[in-house]
Amino acid sequence: MASLIAEIVYRGIFQKNLAARVARGIVLSARKSGRWGIAFGRYGDSPQRNGIPAKDFAIVADTKEELEQNMARYEPKHTDVTIVLDDTLAKGVESWAWYGLQPINKLTVPNGTVLMTSLQSFDSLIEDVHKREEPYTLALIRAKASFSGLWVYREDHTEVRVLGALAKIAPQFLPLDGVCQAIQEIDWGSDLKVASAKKAHDRLESRVVKITEGNAEAPFAFEKPKWWEMREGVTIPAIPIGKPKEGGEGYVPDRNPYFKKYTTRTMRPVIDFDTCVKCNLCWISCPDSCFDVMPDGTFDANMEACCGCGVCEAVCPVEQCVTMVNESLFEDNASQWEMWRKDQAAYKTWLVTKIGDKQGTLRSHGFRFRGQYEQELAAGDLDSGGGVITAGIPGENAAHKTQ
Amino acid sequence: MAETTTTFTNATQVLEPFRGIKKVTIEEYFTSGHRTCQGCESALVMKLMVKAAGPRTIVLGSTGCMYVANTTYYTTPWVVPWMHTQLGSSGSAALGTAAGLKALMAKGKIKAEPINVIAFCGDGGGADMGIGAISATLTHKEYNSLILLYDNESYANTDIQISGMSPYGAHTTFSPPGKVHRIIHKRWKKNMAGMMAAGHPECRYVATVCASFAVDMMNRVRRALTIGGPTFIHSLDPCPKGWDYDPMLSHELGELAIETGVFPLYEVEDGQLKYYGKTRAIVDGRKRKPVREYLLKQGRFAHFIEEDLAYFQAKVDEMWEKWEIPAVVPFRRLDATKSVLDVK
Repeated sequence: MASLIAEIVYRGIFQKNLAARVARGIVLSARKSGRWGIAFGRYGDSPQRNGIPAKDFAIVADTKEELEQNMARYEPKHTDVTIVLDDTLAKGVESWAWYGLQPINKLTVPNGTVLMTSLQSFDSLIEDVHKREEPYTLALIRAKASFSGLWVYREDHTEVRVLGALAKIAPQFLPLDGVCQAIQEIDWGSDLKVASAKKAHDRLESRVVKITEGNAEAPFAFEKPKWWEMREGVTIPAIPIGKPKEGGEGYVPDRNPYFKKYTTRTMRPVIDFDTCVKCNLCWISCPDSCFDVMPDGTFDANMEACCGCGVCEAVCPVEQCVTMVNESLFEDNASQWEMWRKDQAAYKTWLVTKIGDKQGTLRSHGFRFRGQYEQELAAGDLDSGGGVITAGIPGENAAHKTQ
Repeated sequence: MAETTTTFTNATQVLEPFRGIKKVTIEEYFTSGHRTCQGCESALVMKLMVKAAGPRTIVLGSTGCMYVANTTYYTTPWVVPWMHTQLGSSGSAALGTAAGLKALMAKGKIKAEPINVIAFCGDGGGADMGIGAISATLTHKEYNSLILLYDNESYANTDIQISGMSPYGAHTTFSPPGKVHRIIHKRWKKNMAGMMAAGHPECRYVATVCASFAVDMMNRVRRALTIGGPTFIHSLDPCPKGWDYDPMLSHELGELAIETGVFPLYEVEDGQLKYYGKTRAIVDGRKRKPVREYLLKQGRFAHFIEEDLAYFQAKVDEMWEKWEIPAVVPFRRLDATKSVLDVK
């Protein structure tokens, strides 16, 4: 008598179909060894948005009664396996319907497993994941995050790699044979996918994370209003108008204090204040109003407000003035402009390192043109998620990113 | 405080057009911390809309992404007063609020000053459900209000169902391409702005806008609010979620929609039609880009074969070459040699 509870943490819309396949695959694999299962999404994540962290759950149990017991909950409070489909989620998630930031391992049971797709080293990932009171295992599938969209799916075998890895982590619930059989029969399955699942099973890397390891920062948190505190007619105080940056110059808007949106980000803009021509385009085109106006007329992307869409890079008329760089290369949300003002030479060195990181500037945010995913998969090793095609990236940086 | 027109009964704020991007208001009245997608063009429309309107503005929002994503769980990014209204009632809310303000001012309960009233609606809320109420509001010329329709071409909030504004052939939750039937959605999109302009002779201002051309867009909002009476603006908003594209392309797809002629930019002021921006260039003879450049950057059209692309192109060509007023008024005059009765 036992049950296995898995949560699948993923990037909204970009990985919606992928997460659904993983959840469904878990249940169908469990049936192959006579177990019962259910897969469901988290109600609070709907309606989903591009990039905002979201969750699906899959529960597998030996008996129907045990399954029902688990289904009686709104959503699982603890999970045996936390599956993370994008390694920038390691920094924690602030979902659509939540107040504050949750560490990625928050629901993982003591000695449970956090399973992640990543090309980063264990050490650099553990720096991002919040510390916790109990040890857990970090297991890595060596592949990059698979992003596509609602309609066109990127067939890079990520879903079966996760299932193969789960067969290694929890063979008592998901024996490899059952997983392979389920993949064979499912409408999106194939022999090649069975082979990918087996490879992922054999190649899974894992290591125990001790209680002394991890990011020591206390995640930002808020008190949620209690039902009896809710006001009649639901009125919400408006946001104040904002103020000049300093000495009456520039402008910093006030922002929603309870929802910061930055865990939606997988890449962030890195700005070269020396080459900025102060054209205002990034500032006016940002859907999230994340650019603060500096006294010198340049614009500082506020890292608590930026959700990483990349429109600023696309509209910037200066080559490499705004460059989107992978979130995994940064430790905090500090102001770039302040860093630049303090020491311009040091900032330049920092900037060149960040935007010069070839891997860190690769873009994988879904559909840019028809045939792109096929080209990507043909351009690189399928086991690690294929290569990268840079065609179709708009703006002045586009040429630079062509491999 | 903005300058005002002289007569109180229909006084409006006089909002001069921004002369270039450097002259745009620096303050934000719709700020950060909303639960929209990466690269959400509709959130940008909200930001630019109130930036243009200024602080003495009341915004009313009918249900849709811009309601749900912007005011959830007791938090908001709005700086100006905002109120939710039902899905189909952006028109009624605009009219009622404008009338209410007028009554309160007439009774001396609040200071007499022109306050902008803007009601926004999505394409589902505006072009499908709320069209009757919007139409009614556009006939009430004694009340100043602007209705802004942000059109992302589907019911995007509830995960992309077809609306009357979804383009031909698009993949949506209601129209997944199949093995037997490739094209499920076969209806051509409504011509909202043209319909509003043609059907409401006393509405003084109707315009189409796209946030990829931010200053042009804000100046259309300013004109609508300054001219007074009920006014209508239709904005085309690329939607990374429903159109299925890399959010970085939001700005570019807006530009392409104009350059391919799929969406025209124009304004109708006191019955006079004026094309503007890149649409003006098309009318003046610049070649339209082929629609495939726009369509094939979007996952929702990934199932199109050459035949579908050709059909889409032909329909857009028809808009420009056959319509009585290109891209605005679709019907044609009868051949002068035939009388009405000859035509069955």
